[in-house]
Amino acid sequence: MNIVFKGKFALFTKLILLGLISAILVLLIESALAKKEYAIALFLAASLAALCYTYLSRRAVPMKFFLPGLLLLFAFVVAPIVYTVIMSNYNYKTGNIISKQEAITQIKGLGVEPDANGTTFDIVVGKSSTGEYEILASDAPNHVYFLSTATKKTDLLPSQVTLNADGVATSAPNFTKIPEAQLAGNEDYSKINYAYAGKYFISVQGIDVGAVFRQSLRYNPNNDTIENLVNGNIYKDNGRGNYANINDSSDVLQPGWRATNWFANYTKLFSDPLVRGPLVRVFIWTVAFAFLTVLSSFAFGLLLALTLNKPMRGRRFYRGVLVLPYAIPSVMSILIWGGMFDTEFGAINHILGTHIAWFQNASFARAAVILVNLWLAFPYFYLISSGALQAIPSELLEAAAIDGANPRQIFRKITLPLLMQILTPLLIASFAFNFNNFNLIFLLTGGGPKDLLGGQIAGATDILISYTYQIAFGSNTQDLGLASSISVIIFFIIAGISLYGLRKSKVLETFG
Amino acid sequence: MNRRILGMLGLLTSAALATSLAVVPGAQAAGGTIVVWADETRGPNLQKVMDAKSDWVPGYTIKIVTYSSFDALKAAFDKATGTTGPDVVVAANDWVPTAAKSGKLAPVTLTGSQKARFNTTQFFDLSYRGKLYGVPVDINNVAMIYNTDLVKTAPKKFGDMVDFYKANKTADGLKAGLCIAGGGMSWGAHSVFSALGADAYYMAGSRPNYHKFFNPITFASNVKTYLLGPDGKSNGFFPATDTGCKDNFLAGKVPYAVIGNWEWKDYVAKGFTMNLMPVPSTNAGQYGAMFGSVSGALLTSFAATHGVATGAKSLLTNFFGSTAGQVAYQKYEGRPPAEKGAQADASVSAGQKGFGAAASLAGIPQIGAFLNNNAGGASYWDSAPAYWTAVLVNGKDPLVEAKKLAAIWKKNMLAGKADL
Repeated sequence: MNIVFKGKFALFTKLILLGLISAILVLLIESALAKKEYAIALFLAASLAALCYTYLSRRAVPMKFFLPGLLLLFAFVVAPIVYTVIMSNYNYKTGNIISKQEAITQIKGLGVEPDANGTTFDIVVGKSSTGEYEILASDAPNHVYFLSTATKKTDLLPSQVTLNADGVATSAPNFTKIPEAQLAGNEDYSKINYAYAGKYFISVQGIDVGAVFRQSLRYNPNNDTIENLVNGNIYKDNGRGNYANINDSSDVLQPGWRATNWFANYTKLFSDPLVRGPLVRVFIWTVAFAFLTVLSSFAFGLLLALTLNKPMRGRRFYRGVLVLPYAIPSVMSILIWGGMFDTEFGAINHILGTHIAWFQNASFARAAVILVNLWLAFPYFYLISSGALQAIPSELLEAAAIDGANPRQIFRKITLPLLMQILTPLLIASFAFNFNNFNLIFLLTGGGPKDLLGGQIAGATDILISYTYQIAFGSNTQDLGLASSISVIIFFIIAGISLYGLRKSKVLETFG
Repeated sequence: MNRRILGMLGLLTSAALATSLAVVPGAQAAGGTIVVWADETRGPNLQKVMDAKSDWVPGYTIKIVTYSSFDALKAAFDKATGTTGPDVVVAANDWVPTAAKSGKLAPVTLTGSQKARFNTTQFFDLSYRGKLYGVPVDINNVAMIYNTDLVKTAPKKFGDMVDFYKANKTADGLKAGLCIAGGGMSWGAHSVFSALGADAYYMAGSRPNYHKFFNPITFASNVKTYLLGPDGKSNGFFPATDTGCKDNFLAGKVPYAVIGNWEWKDYVAKGFTMNLMPVPSTNAGQYGAMFGSVSGALLTSFAATHGVATGAKSLLTNFFGSTAGQVAYQKYEGRPPAEKGAQADASVSAGQKGFGAAASLAGIPQIGAFLNNNAGGASYWDSAPAYWTAVLVNGKDPLVEAKKLAAIWKKNMLAGKADL
């Protein structure tokens, strides 16, 4: 066994593994650089350096154990949190996705308008005698032909050009056609505005089509403004990711870009009545849902654990049956429960002989959510309660009984306090989990019911995380910045509750 | 050999390995290659067409990238950047407003003859703020079918269907009279809304009519008459959900159903005898308007970044928007082509022509700028099913809810005007 951990074999194995990991990291760095993800490339390069230093050096022995965990912690916990915090301070939503430079390029591209007739020409792309890009344009029905470069338009007579069967000119004097394969490899020719008439120019709209346009928007890099050449309006960076008309702030050019809007998303949470109203209601329900779930599941699990803690016939069988819901994937369970609550075909209405629209009524929907979560969660609490009960010294219970305590007093004064000391961290963790129990809400009720006709934007069973999802991805207009700010608030709420609970239960002191 | 030398050797090996395997990842290939993204059905069919004929744009190579589902395609396109994104994406029409607003699409300019290949209303779907972002590829619409084993004559009025349901409900064990099997309770159910007097918007010729909106009093009155019982609750004729509609129709438990044209083959395969028609209105000879939408091949702004924007524009016109291209593609895809020449082609099935005929009787273009808009507090897609639920399930007053619906749709339409 020693040979595995020491000696040349171990060293050789380590180097091979390190080499493979390094190779993968180099590939990932290359990939990240190709996608211009420089921050990721930097992190991967730092990881590679740290791995090589740690595992090829004798100086960092403790680090050999910590490093993989630290790297993963940074990559999958710290970095997403930092990224979310950063994004929460951005105007990052539909219409404000790309960078400012990309937005300017797009606006310039969109800032052209066709002539009144929508004039188009068949074109052949080539070069002039001076080596400039040139197009040979044909208006076949009207027998109009001309050559055009970026600066000059030269009209041609039909007799000066060679026509194909469709009447399109294919060659002309001093014009050299560029082969198609060459055009496909370099589209620089299509970036040129070919001379036409006055302010109008021909823009390439396909390998053999040109259309007449004029510039309608012009970007001025000196003062970072965009001018509408048709009506004279000036658009200026409004500091929130758009060029806005200086005389009418509601008139903005699209697309916009991701721009910092320091704390504006947080302010909106509390100042915008459309967001604030639902948020408060959703927050209250989230706390109630998490609390009721933990309370009901714990109470039911503990009850079962207490019952099965005593010798009884068939105890093993009951224990096995009780953990079955825990063994079934929760996604399946939730979907099955969703079907059972169906108004028309659901088993629950069938058994009860009722016709309740469970997911159309706020109270019924909330009850269904709590009930389904009780089903999903009680086996966990049963298991941990059973384990904790067995950890309580039986001498304590016997001593109390001898001293005359009745079973209820023993439970209240001895069993429960001792259980709570053991289970409090788990209850807190469970509360935190349910605070973010997205799967249950999304799959069972979708956050509904929601009075959409009445203007509700959050459903009766929406919890903060499902509400956040809805804001971020749930409609045609996505607001990732606002959703990030809610995520940050959820993070601090959960962190605060967890820290408070852990301090109160003094669990951390055990490890001090 | 000491440890340091070994270490160096190991790193050199890793570097050599990485270099030997070096591949610059990303969907985008070298210049001259046009990358097209499509979903799990369209992608393989496009590939078949490209395998048979690859020179749709001379000098360019066309690479088809297929995603496992339409949702996966949407998710990938939402995340696409200049480095990773496609040059052309075959997408739903309602992607256009948001993708164009976010700068992911680039405008295309068609010549007069290229425009003439399509109905002008089809360009609504693919336009945003006066710019066109792609070409229509195939048409999606719905029509009503009725089971001729149960119903012997085509209904002339909405009331005929309700009367049939009431008369035969018990004897035939009917579970509903009319249900929505295709397109859901918003898109698919618009023809029912319209038949009862509530259109999402009205057209004046080929332009939207910004002065006409549905009358909630008339609509609510029709809902009361045809869909509710004397107690104000649903009379069972029209379920508020599409769950189970197809199965119940196929089982002969629902005589009338609204289905999508993409489902026609399934019903034919079941050997059902049925006829296709629009949903009849409350007045004889009039029909509820159904949405006719198009899927489009959209030009992305990434094509310019990749240096193939001109080639990609030519791919749209030479292949996706041409008669030859649509015939070649729909031979495998089997959807009704959007291009007029391809529609007239002999390869278009009788069923698809039947949907086309139904649409020509009562169709309106699907205008995402109105339907996706939520200036009224909810989009059409959310508010339409909410009305059915509120009235047919929760028993709310049809007039009160209809007034809310009318207000929402009106606001959405007026707010969406700027995006057309």
